[in-house]
Amino acid sequence: MTTGSEHIAVVGIDCRFPGAGDKDAFWDMLVRGEHGVSEVPAPRWDGAAFHDAAGGAGRVNTRFGAFMSDPDAFDFEFFGVSPREAAAMDPQQRMLLQAAWRAVEDSGVAPGALAGSATGVFVGMMSSEWATLHLSDYPGLTAHRGSGNGYCMAANRVSYHLDLRGPSTAVDTACSSSLVATHLAANAIRAGDCDQAIVAGVNLMLTPALSIFYTQAGLSAPDGRCKPFSGAADGIGRGEGVGVVVLRRLSDALADRQPVYAVIEGSAVNQDGRSNGITAPSRWSQESVLTAAYARAGVRPRDIAFVEGHGTGTTLGDMIEVKALGAVHGGPRPQPCLLGSVKGNIGHAEGAAGIAGLIKACLALDRRVLPPTLHSETESPRLKLAEQGLRLARGAVRLPKGANGTVRGAVSSFGLGGTNAHVVLASAPVVRRPAEPGGVGVLTVSANTAAALRRNIAALAEAVEGQPDERLGQLCHSTNRVKSGLRQRVALAATSVAQARAELRGLLRDSIPTEQRGKPKVAFLFTGQGSQFAGMGAALRAACPPFRDRLAEADAALRPHLGVSISAIALDGKERDGLGVDATALTQPALFALQYALAAALADLGVRPDAVLGHSVGEFAAACATGVLTLAEAAAMIATRGALMQALPPGGAMIAVRAGADEVADLVAAEPLVSIAAVNGPDSVVLSGDAGGARRIAAALAESGRKVTELVVSHGFHSPLMTQAARDFGDRAFSGIAAPRPATAAFASTVRGRFAAGDELDPAYWVEQITAPVRFADAMAALARREPTHLVEIGPRGVLLGLAVRAGLTGGAKRLVPVPGAAATGAEFAATLATLYSDGMDLDWDRLYRDGQRVPRRLPGYVFADTERFWASAATVRGNTASVVTEKTVTEDQVSPRSERPVRRLGDGPVDAVLAAVAEIGDYAVADLAPEAKLHEDLGFDSIMVMQLGDQLTEVLRLTEPIPVEELLPRVTTVGELLAFAAEVSQEGKR
Amino acid sequence: MNTDTFILATGAALPGDPVDNDAMARRFGTNAQWVELFVGTRTRHFAVDLETGEQTHTLADLASAAAAQAMSRAGVEAADIDFLVLGTATPDMLMPATVNLVADRLGIDQVATYQLQSGCAGAVQALDIGARLLDEDRRTGLVIGGDVCAKHLVLDRDTSATPPGELINYVLFGDGAGAAVLSADDEGAPMRLTSVLNRFTGLGRDPAQVIHWWGETGQPEGARSVAEDYKAIEERVPGMAVEVLHELLDRAGWDSSSVSFLLPPQLSGRMTQRIVKELAVDGATEVSCVAETGNNGNALPFLQLDALAPRLGPGHRAVAVAIESSKWLKGGFTLEGR
Repeated sequence: MTTGSEHIAVVGIDCRFPGAGDKDAFWDMLVRGEHGVSEVPAPRWDGAAFHDAAGGAGRVNTRFGAFMSDPDAFDFEFFGVSPREAAAMDPQQRMLLQAAWRAVEDSGVAPGALAGSATGVFVGMMSSEWATLHLSDYPGLTAHRGSGNGYCMAANRVSYHLDLRGPSTAVDTACSSSLVATHLAANAIRAGDCDQAIVAGVNLMLTPALSIFYTQAGLSAPDGRCKPFSGAADGIGRGEGVGVVVLRRLSDALADRQPVYAVIEGSAVNQDGRSNGITAPSRWSQESVLTAAYARAGVRPRDIAFVEGHGTGTTLGDMIEVKALGAVHGGPRPQPCLLGSVKGNIGHAEGAAGIAGLIKACLALDRRVLPPTLHSETESPRLKLAEQGLRLARGAVRLPKGANGTVRGAVSSFGLGGTNAHVVLASAPVVRRPAEPGGVGVLTVSANTAAALRRNIAALAEAVEGQPDERLGQLCHSTNRVKSGLRQRVALAATSVAQARAELRGLLRDSIPTEQRGKPKVAFLFTGQGSQFAGMGAALRAACPPFRDRLAEADAALRPHLGVSISAIALDGKERDGLGVDATALTQPALFALQYALAAALADLGVRPDAVLGHSVGEFAAACATGVLTLAEAAAMIATRGALMQALPPGGAMIAVRAGADEVADLVAAEPLVSIAAVNGPDSVVLSGDAGGARRIAAALAESGRKVTELVVSHGFHSPLMTQAARDFGDRAFSGIAAPRPATAAFASTVRGRFAAGDELDPAYWVEQITAPVRFADAMAALARREPTHLVEIGPRGVLLGLAVRAGLTGGAKRLVPVPGAAATGAEFAATLATLYSDGMDLDWDRLYRDGQRVPRRLPGYVFADTERFWASAATVRGNTASVVTEKTVTEDQVSPRSERPVRRLGDGPVDAVLAAVAEIGDYAVADLAPEAKLHEDLGFDSIMVMQLGDQLTEVLRLTEPIPVEELLPRVTTVGELLAFAAEVSQEGKR
Repeated sequence: MNTDTFILATGAALPGDPVDNDAMARRFGTNAQWVELFVGTRTRHFAVDLETGEQTHTLADLASAAAAQAMSRAGVEAADIDFLVLGTATPDMLMPATVNLVADRLGIDQVATYQLQSGCAGAVQALDIGARLLDEDRRTGLVIGGDVCAKHLVLDRDTSATPPGELINYVLFGDGAGAAVLSADDEGAPMRLTSVLNRFTGLGRDPAQVIHWWGETGQPEGARSVAEDYKAIEERVPGMAVEVLHELLDRAGWDSSSVSFLLPPQLSGRMTQRIVKELAVDGATEVSCVAETGNNGNALPFLQLDALAPRLGPGHRAVAVAIESSKWLKGGFTLEGR
């Protein structure tokens, strides 16, 4: 395949057209044969006043057109655009922004993930009526009105807000603009100018100017409806809308397993040149653009099952188009080529007409159904379609497969000035991607505000409804991939579709916590001996690929030392020489393996601890998790440690007592073979050593009313009975760790009862660890002083968290137990991830899923706020003064003007004056200016507004010298910082 | 079959939790031990909440769920489906046919749909038609079978006086649906359908299973909506099953010793055991479900296929037999693992 014909995949689509609020509604409208034509809505212009059936000068011969229902709605907050700037922006730009965002999402990619990428933006448009309205209002011309206008800015703004670095350009070839943009974008990808492209077309009718033009040119249909290829065709009915598609190399899309709507196999663009008048179409040029496109695509006309024609419904235009099509398609072919035009449904959407036809054709190929073309029942006999090898698409039909199971269609779009485009499309290659069941997944939803979060949760709840459980992994993975990047977020561990849906619905009923936190600061607590049980971690191994993989790694590292698979013993309950997981020679490596695998799996998913703490034997996996020990070193040490202890004569006792270390000190001093093995809290210690001695102390304590509990142990760990094991352990001289490494996270040592640096954890430390008491309470207290936000127990059940709670050492941290004992299902691990994500941690989700689950599925597009309205049109303009109407609709029927919003009363102080300045520059209500709001990202303060801010600060703070902006910028990111800065400057001023 | 037929995946849907014989005894006064011993069905699923009497699932619900599961396992999308065939004795309504509601649920449009009025041989009939529909243009199709006996479970009646002949239906039957995605393309397909036998053999014979339906005129005085001739069933079904088995084996040119799996008729746990004995395919592993699912008619062979799917390895051969005693239909098919 040469570069010239490299196949380009259409991977994402979003659109809004008259009568169709989104892609699915558009499809329904097409299949049902409905249209979006209505009377001119009052907010556009006075349809009656401009109407003249005779089409006199300055008049329109129709009161109808295809108008969008809410082109004034814009979620300015989402894009970090100030209301002032939003109000000064061409609504076409605003519509493009939202549609571009959703189209990228539809391609299975988070728009944020494209930041910095070589993604191109190609926007076709031919009307800038906003400019007409605003650019002659000289006194009202602001900086924002400048950047809010213009074709180039429409494209560039998408590049700016999504941070896309590929070519960004607007295309105006009149009615063919957006199909020409598609051609240019596909070529730019083939040429390597960009790796993917956002292609758009947009059109809005704000004034009757073009309607008057069409009327005067004799092209305007009196009923405002395009009747393509119909005997009743009597001209153009205008339409509007926005359509966006995302293009990529087919090979890239398939490699990424992206869903593909259709494939662009080839396209061509040409010009009529000197035809019978500049606006007259040319049959010969149309014929040659078709031929060129098929040649490039390497297909024969007979391979094309349908053509989405230009089909404006003008007598001459339809005749010439059909003749050109007939010249190419009229030859021998198995079935006539089906012909239709979306203009019958949504009118002639001008700059968006080409993309509307392209989207219709892509959806048709994706669904293998060609929708009917309206007015086909009055097909024009003069066109002699049958003789031309053509047939109008009457009623929806299932498209027959051609050779190799491929279905092909083509799209035409011809510009008023003679620029023609034709695009050849094929159905996507059939790739079956069977869903893989099992495992645990996390569904994520994110948005920019709490209210937005609710809207988007509702959309997701609807999307998961009725899906088979097999799909759950793919759905979870898709939400992680596409829907996890925004600030307000929720997540839930999903075990079945029904449960996930019910929990999503539950979230909508309950209040969703939306407090702003910083990034989570996580501490891992590694459990000690006694927590083990046969079967521990087995459910997680079955459910969680990274845990399974890391466990296998630990198993392999331990096997040379143990001679058996430790996971067979720990998770499957096998035995070695009659000994199971409760024999300390196996307990220690078993716990280590589970803890190593759990911490490593969490790290694989992006959870890295700020601090760790290990209770006794738990310190080995903790040392691995912080990079102090390698897996091989730790495996050798733990296996040796366990074996040496096992080799000691059995006997000894460990007794937990409800008493403080001070209280037992004297009693312990009297028993040379007994020591305090652990201090777990202010009134919780464990005695260990010679059984007789330990029981004597326990009896004495019991007598004084203390609760004592003898633990089931094989040996008295952390007691003088361990001295020989410690000596032998030292003799093994673990030379590999002669030079300990620095720790990547703070290591709270239970040997030292404080934080220990990585190089403290030398061989001598590990020898000392065998006999030294476990100073859990002190180590935990040190850890707590670091103020972790989350404590995660790394062990087979929750033990240390309980000790920490009883010792009052958890602070405000959330406590998470990813493996809560024998009842664990694996879902708790997912719930741990869900909590960390919801609280602000960004995770690397991919590895949570099996291969067959890492398949992006299309999810509903982001649901934007539609309560904020910004509008200007011929109806709102008086003379040369363009007045923008902005309003906030609370509900459909309850409209309150922006000025009526509650306003915080301001005092006279400098802080209030600064706040007022910010509000005024951005046209915000003062009440909306939260201290943590970022001026640039959240409030849309661009360089122009920052300059204004500098000027106003100088004024309101009554400074003699203007504040240099270069001094202001590095110090001030948020509103709060700005206020602090202002207070400081004003203090200095007073001095 | 002119085009090779492959099964890409199967799906199953059973409503709610299994209802055991003790629960049936509590609800209907049936003798749990008797059911266990003479019917051999241990559990079944109902699309009705036995406590409240409310219908929890329609046939469209179950058929859509089974089909969606099969589609997701096959990795095919709604647009890939070229036709649907649904076999059922108990459509939710006579119109619209349930198959069309299922298509709607699944997002399938502009394709041929068929609904078969069928019983225990319905799944075989659906497979037969599905296999014949595959051609150059129709490469992928859905075949579904399911039944919901909600309309026949009378929950507000005192059953203590009901004759055992009527009560047996309560413990015998169950609800559910199963589905398979058929394809003319072999890529990644785990099974190949090598032959289907589907034949009416009831000329001049009285039906042994009758289910009536009534419209506005209502149920005639004293009429029973469901009636079975259990004697005829016991007498004739085993012999018919043996005939079907041998015809299938002969057609395939298979020796019975080369068969790895046997999917026998699923009348009841006990009857199935008897038939398996008479089929005498030694060495083949029996794949049955009726003891756990109850007799859910059109779903049964699909549920057996669903249970077979993970076990059928490359080169394995399987034979399925289904007999419908309503008007004496013979059914069966042979499969090869790939």
